[in-house]
Amino acid sequence: MPRLSDSMEEGTILTWLKQVGEEVAIGDELVEIETDKANMAYEADVAGTLTEILAQEGDTLAIGEPIAVVGDANGAGAPAPEEAPAIAEAPAAPETPAPAEPRPADGPKSGDIGTVSAHRADGARVKASPVARRLAKERGIDLTTLTGSGPGGRIVKKDVKNAAQDASPAAAAPPAADAAGGAASAETAKGETTVEELSKLQEVIARRMAESKATAPHFYLEATVDMSAAVEGRARLKAATPEGQVVPSFNDMVVKACALALKEFPRANGAYRDGRFELYSRVNVGVAVAAQDALVVPTVFDADKKGLSQIAEDARAVAAKVRDGSVTPPELSGGTFTVSNLGMYGIRNFGAVINPPQAAILAVGAIEERPVARDGSLAIAQLMDVTLACDHRILYGADAAEFLARIRALLEEPLSLAL
Amino acid sequence: MSTTLTAAPPTGLLDLYGEMVLIRRFEEAAERQYKAARIGGYCHLSSGQEAATVGTVAAMEPDDLLVTGYRCHGFALARGVSPEAVMAELFGRRDGCAHGRGGSMHLLDVSRGYYGGWGIVGGQLPIATGMALSLVRRGAPQAVLCELGDGAVNMGAWHESLNLAAVWNLPVVFLVINNQYGMGTSVERASAEPDLFKRAGAYRMTGERVDGDDLEAVIESAGRLLTAAREERKPAVLEAVTYRHRGHSVADAGLAYRTKEEIEERKLADPIERTKALLRERGVNDEQFAAADAEAEAAVERSIAFAESDPAPDVDRLAAGMYAPGSGGQFERMVPGSPLGERELVFSGGLGE
Amino acid sequence: MSAATEAKADPSVAAPASAGTELMTYREALRLAMRQEMQRDPSVFVMGEEVGVFDGSYKVTAGLLDEFGPDRVRDTPISEEGFVGAGVGAAMLGERPIVEIMTLNFLLVAMDQVVNHAAKIGAMFGGEVRCPLVIRTPNGAGNQLTAQHSQSFDAWFAGTPGLKVVSPASPADAKGLLKAAIRDDDPVLVIENLPIYKEKGEVDVDPELVTPIGLAAVPREGSDLTLVTHSFATVRALKVADQLEAEKGVSVEVVDLRSLRPLDVETVATSVAKTNRALCIEEGWPTYGVTAELAARIQLACFDDLDAPVERLGMAEVPLPYAKELELAAMPTEERIAGAILRTLDLAP
Repeated sequence: MPRLSDSMEEGTILTWLKQVGEEVAIGDELVEIETDKANMAYEADVAGTLTEILAQEGDTLAIGEPIAVVGDANGAGAPAPEEAPAIAEAPAAPETPAPAEPRPADGPKSGDIGTVSAHRADGARVKASPVARRLAKERGIDLTTLTGSGPGGRIVKKDVKNAAQDASPAAAAPPAADAAGGAASAETAKGETTVEELSKLQEVIARRMAESKATAPHFYLEATVDMSAAVEGRARLKAATPEGQVVPSFNDMVVKACALALKEFPRANGAYRDGRFELYSRVNVGVAVAAQDALVVPTVFDADKKGLSQIAEDARAVAAKVRDGSVTPPELSGGTFTVSNLGMYGIRNFGAVINPPQAAILAVGAIEERPVARDGSLAIAQLMDVTLACDHRILYGADAAEFLARIRALLEEPLSLAL
Repeated sequence: MSTTLTAAPPTGLLDLYGEMVLIRRFEEAAERQYKAARIGGYCHLSSGQEAATVGTVAAMEPDDLLVTGYRCHGFALARGVSPEAVMAELFGRRDGCAHGRGGSMHLLDVSRGYYGGWGIVGGQLPIATGMALSLVRRGAPQAVLCELGDGAVNMGAWHESLNLAAVWNLPVVFLVINNQYGMGTSVERASAEPDLFKRAGAYRMTGERVDGDDLEAVIESAGRLLTAAREERKPAVLEAVTYRHRGHSVADAGLAYRTKEEIEERKLADPIERTKALLRERGVNDEQFAAADAEAEAAVERSIAFAESDPAPDVDRLAAGMYAPGSGGQFERMVPGSPLGERELVFSGGLGE
Repeated sequence: MSAATEAKADPSVAAPASAGTELMTYREALRLAMRQEMQRDPSVFVMGEEVGVFDGSYKVTAGLLDEFGPDRVRDTPISEEGFVGAGVGAAMLGERPIVEIMTLNFLLVAMDQVVNHAAKIGAMFGGEVRCPLVIRTPNGAGNQLTAQHSQSFDAWFAGTPGLKVVSPASPADAKGLLKAAIRDDDPVLVIENLPIYKEKGEVDVDPELVTPIGLAAVPREGSDLTLVTHSFATVRALKVADQLEAEKGVSVEVVDLRSLRPLDVETVATSVAKTNRALCIEEGWPTYGVTAELAARIQLACFDDLDAPVERLGMAEVPLPYAKELELAAMPTEERIAGAILRTLDLAP
């Protein structure tokens, strides 16, 4: 019984599309299966003769249970498929705005995240030391993809650690080359379907975003920041900066403002984990960067202690490393807060998904010249909308609001960022 | 409870008679309670040995020390441990003299100088010897009476202890209660030298034999030897020949190795009857005997009532007493990786209390 | 993680004596402890074969007879059951006897007094009486002492509830733990070791400095592997660890148990959680031995932190033969330890 969706645990045979004795080619539709979501046709991934049907129409079986035998292969029933392997940290992915409690989209559900099945395709148990298993589970590494350097081929700690480092996010793994659903495309109402295998990084993003939404109850606070003073200040700074030197961007200012505010609001810098609040002494702000068809969040460490120009340099440098593929796992981890900015795309406002296990994420929109009411009369100001998404298990309305208000205050008085 | 050593006035001996009857009644009650499953484990009765028991203890000074083997109910009672405390210990209750943690073989009362109650044949001898050593180190005018059975004289510990006592001049009297049988083996079959007192000669130690059923003779011999030990630091062996009416323990009918005729014949020489006869000669009347008998029976009844109502020891304090108070801290770091139950039963079970 | 006081046994280095510490041998440290405790408390006395006139068969008690006299330093006849039991009896009356048994092999003769008597007193008598007895004796092998004289039954005693068992590996701990044992109100077996008597180390001579019972020490920190050892195995392990670090760059942490009952599993587990690998070494037979107990507790306390199974090394499971080559092959020598370390790290050829 194949796993036809990530949340599928069992399937019901609806209709056999081949008879016993018939020849089966790879890609032939073999059987129609009812899953928890939809009825789907399963295509053969082996060629041969359908020699035996083990599950009859109407039977419900758990995934991994054999349903038929084709040729002398192990049957059409695939063993329990492994979890999408994932490595290192996950980026925050932007989501279409939903200020209220968002309805879960028709996307991945956080099902059995984190369990690492340790059976190879032939059913043999993978030899791995307890600490290797634990580390692999924590990092979402699939043990069956590793070769063990220990005695008898045992996977040991260093094998898992090396695997974590090898799969650097920028080196996007080529799409899985196995036959299952490879190049096949069938005509449906939506036209031709082209299936793309996810890169490891994309798998990680998918899994972590689903996990975040499923486990952290998100609530959203919106604020409009008057960036007029910041705009003016930056223009002057730019004029005064010699050629070649980096001028802090507005996003750098946002990072600094967040960092200073995070220092004053430790819970916003913390995490809800295992039923407890974890508070961290360092303020490490992650800055979301688009890279190779995915999103990555390198970290600016100790952002509260760094000057604006230092932040600017660091942010620039690490973004460049992301783009050229040389960023390292340590540079992608250790973040206590994330800033995601889509202003450069003209997005006014959006709500982001928290980068787990952080307490919050700030989504930053474009700075626009807009009319604003001031003291009863109309004026023009440079306004920027920001939305703070918070994990309601650690942040509550009032404290999150104060935190956001602080960020806003710092940005509206940009000289305070120089402190 | 102790008396003077020479011919005691009738009241003194009458008290001792009362003690002998108390022991006899107590042992009978213990046997009944054991068979009713209120007393478990081993239960070794000393019925028939009362004169040797009471007489030797009577010869002790109040601050002399007593160490015995496992046939110890009589000795505990003679030394003054209350029948309540003894019966409660047999019942395994909280207020037994060992708080329910020792049982029949491990009675003790430190306040009365009674240091147990030991279950390994002969194992108590080196301990008694060490106690005598301590008395010498302190210059204390005290002696140790160490009771053992005829079966223990063939243990290595007998030899080592007597040698040590003799070579170091320790104030200990080794009282061999020769009741003719070591469990099911008669003295003749077990001992190459069946005149057990003679073995003291191997250590140039005084060795005497006394009729263990003759109360006055026992008091005299034991008194004399204890005095020599106490005052001159001369150890000695006193073999008190007696007989046990019951089997080795309640679970032993005692007939595999003895004939019924022999037992009946020996019962005719019951030390309680002999003592009664002696007292009658000294002018004690039947009323007095009746009163003493009644008192003894009442005491035993009270002890059973007490034991029945006394609570069992607290299961949450399984490990209490094993180590000295305050030791708990030493064991804290042993907790990780403990076998199942060790944490709850031992580490949290009063260890170090 | 290092204990308050422990010293590496390194006789080649004459360490500078600082205020309050002296360089001395393990046996001198034991003697110092006894002398200090006997001066402090008149109830402390020594008993054993050849402890007085002969100055001790391993010279540990040398000079004590002259200083304290024959009442407090008593030569006994050869009768271990007798004089160990005498120690039990004296202790029950409140004395603090130190019974010296010539070697651990001879303690077998007195097993009944140790296990059936001393260990039972507290529990069996409901806490009514205590037994503050110390038995000191060396384990260990070497120099072709042959089968009956080369045994290390540490585990037999460490496995007996009611006893406490300590085994110092350094002169500083010899002093500290013997003092702790003497002052403890329970029966304590102090397991010394034949070759360890001559090991030298810095010892703080403060008479009030006592090593706590139940606390292990970490005389050497490392990251690749934890060696769990006690007694002479600690001495060997430290030497091998230094050697292997220099030759092969492996980083080995050594946990010196110092106390077998109570056993400081916390320190061991913390170390193994860090290094992820453990090799337990003892002088005795590992089957049903101290290392067997360690392996059981480590696998339970550190299950998810183990990168390899817990390994053990000890004396080969044979009565020790006489011939030199056979003896060396059987003992847990430095060579065998080095091989075991490499094996546990999957570095063995």
